[in-house]
Amino acid sequence: METQIYLVYILSFVLGSIVGLVLSYKKYTEPFVRKNIDVAALVLAIIGWVLALNFALIPIIPDYISITVGVFLFAMVIGMRPGYGRYETVIGFLVAGIIWILRTVLS
Amino acid sequence: MNLMADILLNVTIAFLVGSVLFGIQRKVMARIQLRPGPPIIQHLLHTMKFFIKETVFPKTAAMPFYVVITVILCAIWVAAVIVGPVTQGPLLLLFAIFAIHKIVEHNAGSSSGSPYGKLSCVRAVFSAAAELPLFAVLIIIFLQTGTMQLSTIVAYQAEHGALIFTLPLAAMMFIALIISKSYYYSPLNITLAKDIVSGFETEHFGMLRGFIMISEAITWYMLLWVFLTVFFGALSPLMYLIGMVILTALIGAVNALTPILNPNHSVMTEITLAFIGIVGSIIMMFYI
Repeated sequence: METQIYLVYILSFVLGSIVGLVLSYKKYTEPFVRKNIDVAALVLAIIGWVLALNFALIPIIPDYISITVGVFLFAMVIGMRPGYGRYETVIGFLVAGIIWILRTVLS
Repeated sequence: MNLMADILLNVTIAFLVGSVLFGIQRKVMARIQLRPGPPIIQHLLHTMKFFIKETVFPKTAAMPFYVVITVILCAIWVAAVIVGPVTQGPLLLLFAIFAIHKIVEHNAGSSSGSPYGKLSCVRAVFSAAAELPLFAVLIIIFLQTGTMQLSTIVAYQAEHGALIFTLPLAAMMFIALIISKSYYYSPLNITLAKDIVSGFETEHFGMLRGFIMISEAITWYMLLWVFLTVFFGALSPLMYLIGMVILTALIGAVNALTPILNPNHSVMTEITLAFIGIVGSIIMMFYI
């Protein structure tokens, strides 16, 4: 069962990356030169990473659903047009990591 | 689970994870070289693209071998998945598959009729000498654990601890092997070195190239899977994924920071590493 679930996560990552790539090419017509933070991507990255790493915070939703949705969302940001989504991914991971540390190590 | 379903599941995972790992490797290399790099799913997108491109056949191609060889390449790596993650069978069979891969590289190069393919074919024969670390790893693991069965090697490690700590030099040899089979600008992979364009793949187009790229992804996944299983023992799927990402990133860094060696230097480097690995491992096993 565990292997099947991981296939679902991997498929979620691949599909999220494809969607992110297609949408970001529509949104950004120029290469990554301005180095601004995209607020929408930042929100997606934070929600995605928090759902994937801190699924235990929402006990009413089964963990595999939280992780699948989380992986899809952060994959959308990771998979953006080259250069875009880099800062958003790091910030999202850091926020989720801090929450994870507060929840598990320090509680 | 039904055996066929298990095989299909593991082959799909091997292909998808292998493809994404190639993307990570290229991304790491690009960042080291201060480039943004391609999207992480680039290898996967390329593979899909080749299946909708027109398949053309060179006039010089040796038919039907030119076509069949790509299917054989795919088949041997599907067999590797069956022997590895699905059944945890004999390690010897996996190493036989690595050896057949070398023969397939040779035949894929020669069947196209391209001069680049032919050079790659000659290099595949030449670099067979570099498979020495492969067999050395096999012998050392057998001497240490007394078995060739993957499931028993995993059980041995559950009892005695991970082999990476008792056989670090054998692990080093295996890493050299993985680097030599790495696809993007590897210092040791002389059959796909950029001085011969794309080596044995140069004259395979369309769907045939798609099959080769599927095989490449599965090959990469299997190499890392065997390394992690043999040297770290039973891991959860998450730990496999983390281990594979770390190894791929490390090898990406090695590939980005080293020059591509010429065939003589590549083979001699691998043989030297094998010599150090064999002698060092035997000394460690019997005297430390």
